[in-house]
Amino acid sequence: MSEDNNDKIIIQSQSSESISGGGSGSTTDIDYVRPAEVGDQDLYHGHSFITKWVFCQDAKVIGVQYFLLATFTGIIGLILSWLMRLQLGFPELASFMTAEHYYQFVTMHGMIMVVYFLTALFLGGFGNFLIPLMVGARDMVFPYLNMVSFWMFFIAVVVLLASFFVPGGPTGSGWTLYPPQSILEGTPGSGMGILLMCLSLILFVAGFTMGGLNYLITVLQARTRGMTLMRMPLTVWGIFTATVLAMLAFPALLVGSLMMSLDKILGTSFFMPTILQAGEVLEYGGGSPILFQHLFWFFGHPEVYIVALPAFGIISDLISVHSRKNIFGYRMMVWAIVVIGGLSFFVWAHHMYVSGMNPWFGFFFATTTLIIAVPTAMKVYNWVLTLWRGNIRLNTVMLWCLGFIVTFVNGGITGIFLGNVTVDVPLSDTYFVIAHFHMVMGIAPLMVIMGAVYHWFPLVTGRMLSEKLGKWHFWFTFLGAYSIYFPMHYLGFIGVPRRYFEMYDSPYVTSAVGMNEFISTAAFIVGAAQFILIYNIIKSLKTGKPAGKNPWQANSLEWLTPSVPPEHGNWGDRLPVVHRWPYDYSVPGAKEDFITQTTPPSDVTNSEVEKT
Amino acid sequence: MSDLKIEGYEFKPGYRGMAEDTGSAQTMFKGVHWGKAMMWIFLLSDTFIFSCFLISYMKGRGSTPVEWPNPSEVFALHVGGVDVPLLLIAIMTFVLITSSGTMALAVKYGYEKNRKMCGWLILATAIGGLTFVGMQAFEWSKLIHEGVRPWENPFGAKQFGSFFFMITGFHGTHVSIGVIFLFIYAYKTFAGHYDERKRGWFTSIKGDYVEIEILGLYWHFVDLVWVFIFAFFYLW
Amino acid sequence: MHPGIIFFLVILGSVLFHIFTPWYWTDVASNWGSMDDTITLTFWVGGGVFIAVCLFMVYCVFKFSYKEGRRAEYKPEDKKLEKILTWATTLGVAALLAPGLIVWNQYINVPKNAIHIDVMAWQWGWQYRLPGEDGKLGSTKIKNINDNNPFGIILEDPNGKDDILIQSDVIHLKNNRPVKILLRSVDVLHNWYVPQFRAKMDAVPGVVTYYWFEPNKAGEYEVLCAEYCGVGHYGMRGRVFVKNEEDYKNWLQEQETFSDLIAKQEEIEFSKTKLAKK
Ligand code: HEM
Ligand SMILES: [Cu+2]
Ligand SMILES: [Cu+2]
Repeated sequence: MSEDNNDKIIIQSQSSESISGGGSGSTTDIDYVRPAEVGDQDLYHGHSFITKWVFCQDAKVIGVQYFLLATFTGIIGLILSWLMRLQLGFPELASFMTAEHYYQFVTMHGMIMVVYFLTALFLGGFGNFLIPLMVGARDMVFPYLNMVSFWMFFIAVVVLLASFFVPGGPTGSGWTLYPPQSILEGTPGSGMGILLMCLSLILFVAGFTMGGLNYLITVLQARTRGMTLMRMPLTVWGIFTATVLAMLAFPALLVGSLMMSLDKILGTSFFMPTILQAGEVLEYGGGSPILFQHLFWFFGHPEVYIVALPAFGIISDLISVHSRKNIFGYRMMVWAIVVIGGLSFFVWAHHMYVSGMNPWFGFFFATTTLIIAVPTAMKVYNWVLTLWRGNIRLNTVMLWCLGFIVTFVNGGITGIFLGNVTVDVPLSDTYFVIAHFHMVMGIAPLMVIMGAVYHWFPLVTGRMLSEKLGKWHFWFTFLGAYSIYFPMHYLGFIGVPRRYFEMYDSPYVTSAVGMNEFISTAAFIVGAAQFILIYNIIKSLKTGKPAGKNPWQANSLEWLTPSVPPEHGNWGDRLPVVHRWPYDYSVPGAKEDFITQTTPPSDVTNSEVEKT
Repeated sequence: MSDLKIEGYEFKPGYRGMAEDTGSAQTMFKGVHWGKAMMWIFLLSDTFIFSCFLISYMKGRGSTPVEWPNPSEVFALHVGGVDVPLLLIAIMTFVLITSSGTMALAVKYGYEKNRKMCGWLILATAIGGLTFVGMQAFEWSKLIHEGVRPWENPFGAKQFGSFFFMITGFHGTHVSIGVIFLFIYAYKTFAGHYDERKRGWFTSIKGDYVEIEILGLYWHFVDLVWVFIFAFFYLW
Repeated sequence: MHPGIIFFLVILGSVLFHIFTPWYWTDVASNWGSMDDTITLTFWVGGGVFIAVCLFMVYCVFKFSYKEGRRAEYKPEDKKLEKILTWATTLGVAALLAPGLIVWNQYINVPKNAIHIDVMAWQWGWQYRLPGEDGKLGSTKIKNINDNNPFGIILEDPNGKDDILIQSDVIHLKNNRPVKILLRSVDVLHNWYVPQFRAKMDAVPGVVTYYWFEPNKAGEYEVLCAEYCGVGHYGMRGRVFVKNEEDYKNWLQEQETFSDLIAKQEEIEFSKTKLAKK
């Protein structure tokens, strides 16, 4: 950008008329913002349909592409979950399904939901769309790499789905892909299926790395003038920290996948001890299956937070905007995100308490795991304390936020059960675990995604979604999902193991038949309710109420672009200049109940802003 | 750090100042080119990849029930009737480290806009890398000739072959990719793309000599990783 | 209806469900009642936090829902409140962790008088081996496993000769006597799990893992495999009978030892060769 220091106030927002005298937009010393450190970004503007919408370098379009593709895979994951629930609740109706099918569906469902749906959606989708807008950049710093990132993801999805059509079908080794079973006869898809899965994961990691470098450098080096780290919206903090985790955790997945592929293709024995199968001793020998588990969970646990941290960030912003109140304890929130991110690299073996690793690890990992509960709890307190004495708009977005709080607290508490070694022993590998992680990393992030969709849809498309449909969608999803997973914990107490195709007639689980039928019915309803959203989106695209500028009266930069929806380059001729944090809601003395980030201090002289 | 000055920014003294500088507006690493910052973070991620490999190697070596072969015998070179342990590997390491030196010089001449010197030095680096890969291919074929395979090993534990081929192969791939880029950059330097700030073929970002430094970071990293691999495989 | 009411009903429903649920854990049949205690403790503390947070949320939703013209409070931080909450949480978490670690310490330290049982798993079944008179199990090797030596016992090991072999998925245990379960797998991961005993551990090929418990209620129990092990996972069941001293002895007497097995096989071999000669 230019060197002119006088370039002070650029965007006038609705609230910029000052309360007392001082002419609006006047430049005084208190409005001083340091001149630009980095030159303006030089962007490639697409001209043809292909460069504008297909191989597009605009982060916003890439974000939408990620969003759509992730949603598409998510719908496949949802359909698979229906099939599984059909088998579990009404086995007589699922006679077409064999145990092989069931295990393949479990595996693909789990992997799709965690990696190809949630991770891609939060980081690729929301990250791409929101980061440049929220930090006041014109685009991601490496737009070309960003475009390649999406197409790598696309190929990864194609490879993943291709495994449905290869001989032997997709892998049925559980989303944890534990060897030795994952590459041995006796597990469905132990040939091409597992290889394609490994390949797809490797492609995903490669693609993600390209995107991740973009998100990180954009946040670190391409913020606009006045945008200090402590003025970034928590959404950016969450996505940023999650990306750091991903950059450091995915390597373990990559290495694990590579080594497992070699075990399969070349017959190396990284993870393969001496094995006697069907009366024959295999060629393998001397490897360690537990090594894979360590590699997997060194990735797998941070992965949980890769999904959770962006959700934490987004929900904080949504709650704050729709409670018309600053997020409570912003600094605590930032540090909690960072601390949770850091600690998440030291807790991985809590997934392995009963894996046969050295039992002494149990002490260490139980302690670290429960330590993580503290910053997490702080975040929860701060969310509800943000509601406290707020001015809460009970719209659809807020409903999703409330749903998130209930499901997240529920899932977080059951996490304390599972993190605390001894408590985990009877519960691990039972339906308690299934219920726990669906609640905490399935349903809770889903609530955030939905809230975010209702919140930012006007920004992306310029039209509002229907509130009425939105409320129906919410209640079906929330009540339905809660009634799927809350009772499911009790199946775990009975002792029903997870990944069971059929229960037979174990004396103490036959009593659960009724519950399984109920859960399955609820699952069908919840799944079907998602089509309300799809209908809502399609309908609102055409006939939704025009959103206009800043329909929620929010403070953060993404709402302050000269045109809505924002164009390529985001900011027109001049980049915004930031004067305050994004949470100045309901500042006493201010005219409106929000003060946008670009409002200079001279415009709000009479109010008692504490934090800038 | 208070005497440090970057155009448009004055660093503040003390720890508190450092924190303030870090959290200050616009950039965290003052005056650091985006591409350079990106390469640093990429290398951090890559470090984790190699760490995972080497830690797996340690674990694999520790838990296999069969004896691990003695590296100074397996890797010995038969020269003039005597087995010289680690000869080839010493040369390989020397070549790679030297190429790091030429790379550093290339960066220096690049910033001095000395197009010719810069180009030749990049080319020299590339040739160093190529020599390294060639010698590694020789080492591989020697081992394969002696019967070592990823899935078996006449000298002891099979994991020896598996880890050796996988990790050196992964590193060799890094070197090879580096060599390809070095050749491309040498061409671009000679052709004056950096002097003329010509746009990149794909990225359409304006060329700049900083790109050479970025590639240099990668190259030094690959060398550094080699030192670790060397220590883990040949000296342990 | 006000959304707050529905959220309140959800919380209330959860509590009522917990109180009246017909689905709950099976009666514990081992010494690991202490695990149930840790669960109960976690339930009280965790459940309390869940209810408190959610009810507070519901309260806020009622009390502070949007009114035109009203202003929310402006208070970015409250250091004191944050501090109190941090410490209270830390304390609560520590209170949950401590008993957990204590019980874990018991879990991984096996009492001296425990009977060792070799539980061997494969796709998809179980078999068991008990030490003979000497109280020691002979060492084994997967490559030794064949029809004549179903456990792969190393023939040179004298401890193995009197081992009692149970080639069936039914095992009997002596009531009130600790057992150390030594888990071994010949192919993939498995997990020998009896819900009523609470304890479990994976069987990992290539290594021997262990855990222990002391059955304290005579009866019949079902073994479930609790680690995914391929398509047959859900059918990988077994049975355990916990018996009093006398019944246990009788049962034990009927079982075959490794030497018995060898002798029997030699006999068969012998008669075969005799037959061939004739
Ligand atoms: C309402 C929607 C959903 C339903 C009905 C559903 C249902 C199921 C079922 C029936 C299983 C198999 C349980 C077993 O046999 O062990 C399962 C496993 C799993 N689900 Fe979901 N699920 C849903 C959404 C999600 C979401 C959003 C996620 C994202 C985190 C997710 C992640 C997983 C994972 C990781 C597994 C474990 C797979 C494995 O055992 O390898 N699910 N789900
Ligand atoms: Cu975890
Ligand atoms: Cu199993």
